Amino acid sequence: MTTLFISDLHLEEARPDIIKAFFNFLNNQARNTDALYILGDFFEAWIGDDENTPLQLSVKKELKSLSESGTQIFIMHGNRDFLIGQQFCDETGCTLLDDPTVITLYGKDVILMHGDSLCTRDTEYMKFRQNMRNQEWQTMFLKRSLPERQLVAQQLRTISQAKNKGKALEIMDVTPEEVVATLSQHKASLLIHGHTHRPAIHQLQVDTKPATRVVLGDWDTHAWYLKSEPTGELELLNYPLGE
Amino acid sequence: MIVLKTNFGDITLQLDYEKAPVTAKNFEQYVRDGFYNGLIFHRVISNFMIQGGGFSAGMTPQQTRDPIKNEANNGLSNVTGTIAMARTMDPHSASAQFFINVKDNGFLDHTAETMEGWGYAVFGKVVEGMDVVEKIKNVPTTMASGHQDVPVDDVVIESAEIIEEDSAN
Repeated sequence: MTTLFISDLHLEEARPDIIKAFFNFLNNQARNTDALYILGDFFEAWIGDDENTPLQLSVKKELKSLSESGTQIFIMHGNRDFLIGQQFCDETGCTLLDDPTVITLYGKDVILMHGDSLCTRDTEYMKFRQNMRNQEWQTMFLKRSLPERQLVAQQLRTISQAKNKGKALEIMDVTPEEVVATLSQHKASLLIHGHTHRPAIHQLQVDTKPATRVVLGDWDTHAWYLKSEPTGELELLNYPLGE
Repeated sequence: MIVLKTNFGDITLQLDYEKAPVTAKNFEQYVRDGFYNGLIFHRVISNFMIQGGGFSAGMTPQQTRDPIKNEANNGLSNVTGTIAMARTMDPHSASAQFFINVKDNGFLDHTAETMEGWGYAVFGKVVEGMDVVEKIKNVPTTMASGHQDVPVDDVVIESAEIIEEDSAN
């Protein structure tokens, strides 16, 4: 009777505490729910469905166990794991979602996004995003050997870290006008996204009507999730990772 | 049977005393007490359900009797035109608020006796006045008093009355 939303877990071997918390989450909060939506940056990096690191294998196993128990799992690309493909979905029972996707949640249209495309003021990043999402580039990249891809990914990470150092925080938040335009375009009153690591529920006005923007939280010190019920209740919840 | 006389027209309900005895009697008692008279449909979602019986115009919440046990495990499904009890996340928290399904909402049905699986208890159906329900489901809504999907213009249950059925049949 419940639908859950998470994003920005940034799963990586270096953070066993997040991995452990996520598996606990799958076996407790997410069990017996109708659906779990993972809205991007689920993994810190993803260079192809064929890598199969121990972390990836164990995550796949746990996701498969949840999807087989009857909870539908939907996954959307983030800016870090946009190469997650059909093979991953086949192996886990997940369904890959476009960004944006409009779903009907308990009778209402809801827009789901990762959120990076809303940060239009970061022009440099928007250009990079366009290049990375280019189908031809992706196909070429995935054809390269695993070690080659690992090297490229490492280089991109180093560049990105160096660039973000000097960037003002507000530049990396969403552009308010872009949020309003997106809600207006889809005639929806609820937008759920992640990416910015600024968990909050914002009330706003779109075309003179009330609308809501939910920003999911990143899993760093706390686990964050959004819980939606047929009663209309929408709760953005968190708890310390160790619990 | 029970008639909800609204400012959009009459909705006639047949309650299922056999499959949902506690819920049907609870609803009937609220009707007998005149509890629903003047209350509104305060949550209207056109492709989901219309919910009422908890607030008067102006979104003033009403004092109810104690919650009842959830009878969603009675085999009745939340199909279009059925009436079911609204509640909080706690399965056994229904008191007076109810909703009429305007779509087949099978995902609201009982699947297990757990928090997640209890479902929403169907206890009757609309036997006349689905056109009225259709009219109500399409009214414009807004946010009011912190609640979403509240009709802009009040949809009022002017009175709820019991019609005695033909006992010879």
